[in-house]
Amino acid sequence: MLKKWLLAAALATGLSGPAFAETVNILMEGVPDTEYVKTLLPEFTKETGIEVNLEVVNYAEMHTKLVPQLVASKGSYSAIVVDFYWVGEFTKAGWLQPLDERIKADNFDTSVYVPKLMDLVGKVDGATYMLPFYNYAMGLLYRKDLLADEKNKTDFKAKYGFDLDVPKTWDEYLKQVEFFTKDGINGVVNQGLRPDPIAMEWSNYLFANGGEYHDANWKATLNTEAGVKAVEQYATNVNKYGPIGSASFSFDEAFNVMAQGKAYSYITYNFFRAGIDDASKSAVVGKVEIMPVPGTEAGKGGSLNGAWGWAIPKSSPNADAAWKFLKWVESPAIAKKRALQGGSPTRTDVFDDAEVNAKYPYAKALKEMLLTSHNFPVFTYTPQLVEVLGRELSLAVAGEKKPAEALAAIEAEMTELAKKDGKLK
Amino acid sequence: MTMAADDRRLNDMPRAEMTAVERRDRAFGWLIASPSLGLLFLVILFPVFWALYTSVHDYTLIAPNFDTFNGIDNYTKALGDPEFRHTLWLTAFFVAAVVVLEFALGFLVALMLNSVERFKAIYYAILLCPLLMNPVIVGLIWRMFLHPSLGIVNYLLSLIGIDPVNWLGSTKVALWTIVMVDIWHQVSFMIVLLLAGLSALPREPYEAARVDGASALRSFWHITLPLMLPVIAVTLLIRLIFAVKTYDLVYIMTRGGPGVATDLVSYFIYRTAFVGLNIGEASAMSAILLAVIMGLTVWLHRYMRSLT
Repeated sequence: MLKKWLLAAALATGLSGPAFAETVNILMEGVPDTEYVKTLLPEFTKETGIEVNLEVVNYAEMHTKLVPQLVASKGSYSAIVVDFYWVGEFTKAGWLQPLDERIKADNFDTSVYVPKLMDLVGKVDGATYMLPFYNYAMGLLYRKDLLADEKNKTDFKAKYGFDLDVPKTWDEYLKQVEFFTKDGINGVVNQGLRPDPIAMEWSNYLFANGGEYHDANWKATLNTEAGVKAVEQYATNVNKYGPIGSASFSFDEAFNVMAQGKAYSYITYNFFRAGIDDASKSAVVGKVEIMPVPGTEAGKGGSLNGAWGWAIPKSSPNADAAWKFLKWVESPAIAKKRALQGGSPTRTDVFDDAEVNAKYPYAKALKEMLLTSHNFPVFTYTPQLVEVLGRELSLAVAGEKKPAEALAAIEAEMTELAKKDGKLK
Repeated sequence: MTMAADDRRLNDMPRAEMTAVERRDRAFGWLIASPSLGLLFLVILFPVFWALYTSVHDYTLIAPNFDTFNGIDNYTKALGDPEFRHTLWLTAFFVAAVVVLEFALGFLVALMLNSVERFKAIYYAILLCPLLMNPVIVGLIWRMFLHPSLGIVNYLLSLIGIDPVNWLGSTKVALWTIVMVDIWHQVSFMIVLLLAGLSALPREPYEAARVDGASALRSFWHITLPLMLPVIAVTLLIRLIFAVKTYDLVYIMTRGGPGVATDLVSYFIYRTAFVGLNIGEASAMSAILLAVIMGLTVWLHRYMRSLT
């Protein structure tokens, strides 16, 4: 009704031209990739005549803005972007349209996506609900200048009996953390704030020790040797090798410590790799590189995966136009253009592209990171699990709970949530 | 005085005894009050009753409906949850700390300002600055100030030889840090209210006391304090209710951590509703909190009245 009135008003005031053009409305988060997409939009309008209206808000507002529109029978968003946190909730509540028929009708190739990303923000129980948009898998930022230093090399070899080099395994990395905590520098900086920062970062520690959240039947597998080791190592890094106060750091504070040259390493979202070479934010331009979080042995990764997917809600007022947009924005040409601006790809063909690799030499490491990454449990109660993890891990870091106690508490609540969601029988 | 007496007469009178003019006045009164009453009903009473109704149903964001009535289940579950009880106790401690400290500090400053003659407007302006700021911004600013290795507070402390303090990352310090920031932000509220009360006090008792040779302390104890009691009661009450609702500072600065050291009840209820998706249980928790606040308010009100 309101729209009709607006249209009438537009006609009356002589703005009829643009008002008749179809518009695709999308709610997006204010992140670099959104900005890159924005710069490419005129091409889409030129090709299809469809206008695109991006409503950009910060993360904290997104969920509260989305839910009322998704519950409505006709919402105002034609397409949305979905964080992997919400995938379980949104699909369980039946808010997203399956895309399989559209994919088939248009021969859209989804096999080019990194398989782990399709599992995370693509398919749910066999049906495709989303196209992976950009990834934020976590990697290890490390100071390559400190590794190359000759004195460090001899000292390290003398102390540990093997060469100082880019760490091939998780244990090697932990020794480097210990070694580099000297001369006013910390071996590592952590993001220990509840709930997401600590839960996400610690997941890398779990995977790096060979652990996983659950087995194939959703039985929790946290209170294991790998889990206990991961908690112990995390607490030691925060309390012994990290800067004071990292138990309360969010990622921006931790990033600043790294960017001011006060830490040897920092496990974080891969989009920070570009930021570290930005001289306005960083005192260590050109001295930091990113790699997959090392695992139990060479070739095995411990990185946590993370991503956003494009989706069309059931309440979309113009699903056909929305699909046209999705198809366009995820086409090889546009995905490549976004990557060349510094975006974070999800397609293997973009990762392998010669131009992208020439401009961003670390593209290879990012692809490797995705291929060896591990997914966080995706189900209806993902945010609640993050909350529980945040609380218990923070208690363990503060020394108020023993690692095994904290893990047992997480397992108990995770089991309850998985049962409530019907994942665990 | 006569106006008030007239009003009372009008209100107590049975309709039949009213004159036509009085009836018309009364109808007109309702007419001009109705928009605001309607608004109050919409934004206060309706949500409260909706929340109470929700609190006895199994209402979640996954299944947002009132299909399952579950009586007092949500209430027993909430009260049986050790985490919820922990947040209640922590909130009680936090509220006591900020209200007592802000009152002591606020009253002291208000007394000092009351005897100031010059530049009063400037002091007012400075004091009001923090109060005008959004709590989210206050939290963000202090997070930056308190960064343990890159923040200005620890830098200044290092100049006088004090080791860096782990403001937000230590379970022993974090709650006091929040208390401190809350005081910085809200103490002006106390000052302004108490100062308004002080400047409205009659001059005569003080002059009489001075003639009788009473010391400043004695006239404070026997004149200022008793005369100020109603203002103090209202100030404490308002601040107490606001303090119970503290959410923004914790959300921005600590997210309830480290561990559970700053997990205040409002933030916990928010998480139950929007992270745990359990609106029913969150409503029950809110109802419990409402009952506690109402109980406290009534008790404080009566206690203060018994003193005057």
